[in-house]
Amino acid sequence: MRRKVIFRNRWLPYLLLAPQLGVTLVFFIWPSLQAVWQSFLREDMFGLSSTFVWFDNYRVVLADPGYMAAVRRTAVFSVAVALAALMPALLLAVMVDRMLKGVAFWRTILVLPYAIAPAVAGVLFLFMFNPSVGVVARMLTAAGVDWNPRLDGTDAMILVVLAAAWKQISYNFLFFLAGLQAIPKSLLEAAAIDGAGGWTRFRTIVLPLLSPVTFFLVTVNVVYAFFDTFGVIHAVTQGGPAKATEILVYKAWYDGIIATDFGRSAAQSVILMIVVIALTAVQFRYIDRRVQY
Amino acid sequence: MLSRRVLLGTTLAALMAAPTVHAQTRTPIEMWIGVTGPAQDLLIAFGDEFNASQDKYQVTVSFKGQYPEQRAAAIAAFRAGNPPHIMQMFDAGTGDMFAARDAVIPVSEVYARAGLSFDPSIFLAPAAGYYGAADGTLFSQPLNVSTAVMFYNKAAFEKAGLNPDAPPATWPELIEATGKLVAAGQPCGMTSTWISWIMLEQMSAIHDTPIGTLNNGRDGLGAELTFDNPLQARIVSTLAEMQKDKRFDYGGRSNDAAAKFISGECAILLQSSGGHASIARDLGAPFGVAPLPYWPDLIAEPKNSIIGGASLWVFNAPGRTDDEIKGVAEFLSYLSSTDVLTRFAKGTGFLPATNAAFAAMTAEGFFAANPGRDVPVLQLTRGTPSDNSKGYRFGRWTEIRDFYHEEVEKALQGAQTAEQALKNAVARGNEALRAFERTATN
Repeated sequence: MRRKVIFRNRWLPYLLLAPQLGVTLVFFIWPSLQAVWQSFLREDMFGLSSTFVWFDNYRVVLADPGYMAAVRRTAVFSVAVALAALMPALLLAVMVDRMLKGVAFWRTILVLPYAIAPAVAGVLFLFMFNPSVGVVARMLTAAGVDWNPRLDGTDAMILVVLAAAWKQISYNFLFFLAGLQAIPKSLLEAAAIDGAGGWTRFRTIVLPLLSPVTFFLVTVNVVYAFFDTFGVIHAVTQGGPAKATEILVYKAWYDGIIATDFGRSAAQSVILMIVVIALTAVQFRYIDRRVQY
Repeated sequence: MLSRRVLLGTTLAALMAAPTVHAQTRTPIEMWIGVTGPAQDLLIAFGDEFNASQDKYQVTVSFKGQYPEQRAAAIAAFRAGNPPHIMQMFDAGTGDMFAARDAVIPVSEVYARAGLSFDPSIFLAPAAGYYGAADGTLFSQPLNVSTAVMFYNKAAFEKAGLNPDAPPATWPELIEATGKLVAAGQPCGMTSTWISWIMLEQMSAIHDTPIGTLNNGRDGLGAELTFDNPLQARIVSTLAEMQKDKRFDYGGRSNDAAAKFISGECAILLQSSGGHASIARDLGAPFGVAPLPYWPDLIAEPKNSIIGGASLWVFNAPGRTDDEIKGVAEFLSYLSSTDVLTRFAKGTGFLPATNAAFAAMTAEGFFAANPGRDVPVLQLTRGTPSDNSKGYRFGRWTEIRDFYHEEVEKALQGAQTAEQALKNAVARGNEALRAFERTATN
């Protein structure tokens, strides 16, 4: 029998939590509150004049057709990044899971890109797909594709989706592989004895049993696409051409740093914060329960 | 034994500390810059030389990221009550700074408060006009001055049967030359960096056409943009037409298009004169420099082009002492000396910011030895500047430049006409100007 140890101490738990709470307070809660406060102000860039304008900044942001276009663009971008990062990862995980030899080698190789910073991944893709000097761009041009991400918005979007998804494949691969290895072999063997082929086994046993991992990864990937892809976009397209790759987080940065309209930028940050809080809450409260374990 | 060691240690420490103690009596002067490469190295060296030349002030020149990041850092520092004394600010941010009157001290005033004599007319006229008020007060001191010119690949010209010593001077000639280049197998006739700066700002200036009302915004707030005019419509529709068969090939915003010229893909490049050094280093072919093309049916003698680059602004802050102001003025004066500006221009490819530095470089034969390097200065100083070629001043100009980029990019894709593109850019720009005025302090 296990004995429960109970510490009868009122302050020790708080003391142990204090460093973590302190960091969260200083680096997350405090700037967030400042953003909320800033989003109610209208200021010049040096803060020489400051007017409290209630929800004016939000009204301006939400009435801006450019913002609504960025919302739609972000939806397309996030779904595309999530799909482009999840599908190959699942395929690779299934293949590595079936291997008998060299698993450790392939696993290591496939995880490596995750160690690369998003901006660096962006620069790699920028070089490969550069219309003047890029290796891949030359092949595309030779194949008769009119590849020009500098002028063609669709090309640019494909490029940033690829660059953003590429490094995330590693992360997804690792989780899928762990999920696959956790599936009891006896289930698969039983199904095989009952006459289920490879695809049927995958579809009716592996996929449902992987669903908790998949849903977790969908949320992580969407949040990644929402926020962490800033570096990729900044390095590859700067949101262009003609705003074709300007997602919400990039717009918030642009309106603050380039256009120096801090109120409008802060309002956008607050809206983004609410969206992500909602996304995460839905994930953990709602979807989690419906997934079969 | 121990005491002797302590004594030795103390002596050593005192010896080492001596220069530091000495330095602390100097008044610190902070300057933040946003340029990289040779320009950055030279500016830091100028700071060190200034420190060595006197013992009252200690100048620290620090790189704080490229222009936008550096500006963001300076804004944050100002809001925290501790801005640098001097900040380098790129051309397009000038309108924003003019509107923030309480945040800055005009350079003319800095010199006056320091008791130094100062004459804004020592600077190249377009630079003094760009950074100065109508009454002659200079707000910021020109430092790295550039303008746009045309670079062309002489080898490609020869291959296409064009005279490498007679570059196209007008748009019709340019269109014809690019046609011949493409017909001779050149993958791209011409390209341009920074199209808002070159196609909008420079082209409007040399064609004596306003960008907006109120003297191109230089008379204060409340200006309306008016660049949805026949000149701009002609330029944008020409580019869109040429884009179809690659006589013109868009190379992206900022400086990216220069790569298309350096790789040999495009035979002609409209680019900042500051790009001269890297073209000379990386383009493995002879090249020429020529003035920007103009439309002879719109203007017989094109006006001067306008400047780009950056200038030095002096921040106001609570508790700035007279001593600091004096130090700032001394350093700024040093940075406008002929020796410093001549070395800066030679080392970076930027233009000498003062008339005296230009004259000195001419006298020592620099331009004779480096053909093409004088083209931008001559283009900047030709003729008598008109109200439309003295520069412009609008708030949020960095953002408005991007409106132009976005709308013109759509026109180049064929998604809208040139007229629509300009109309949209003007409408969005005016909206940004109105929003800017609501926050401006004067």
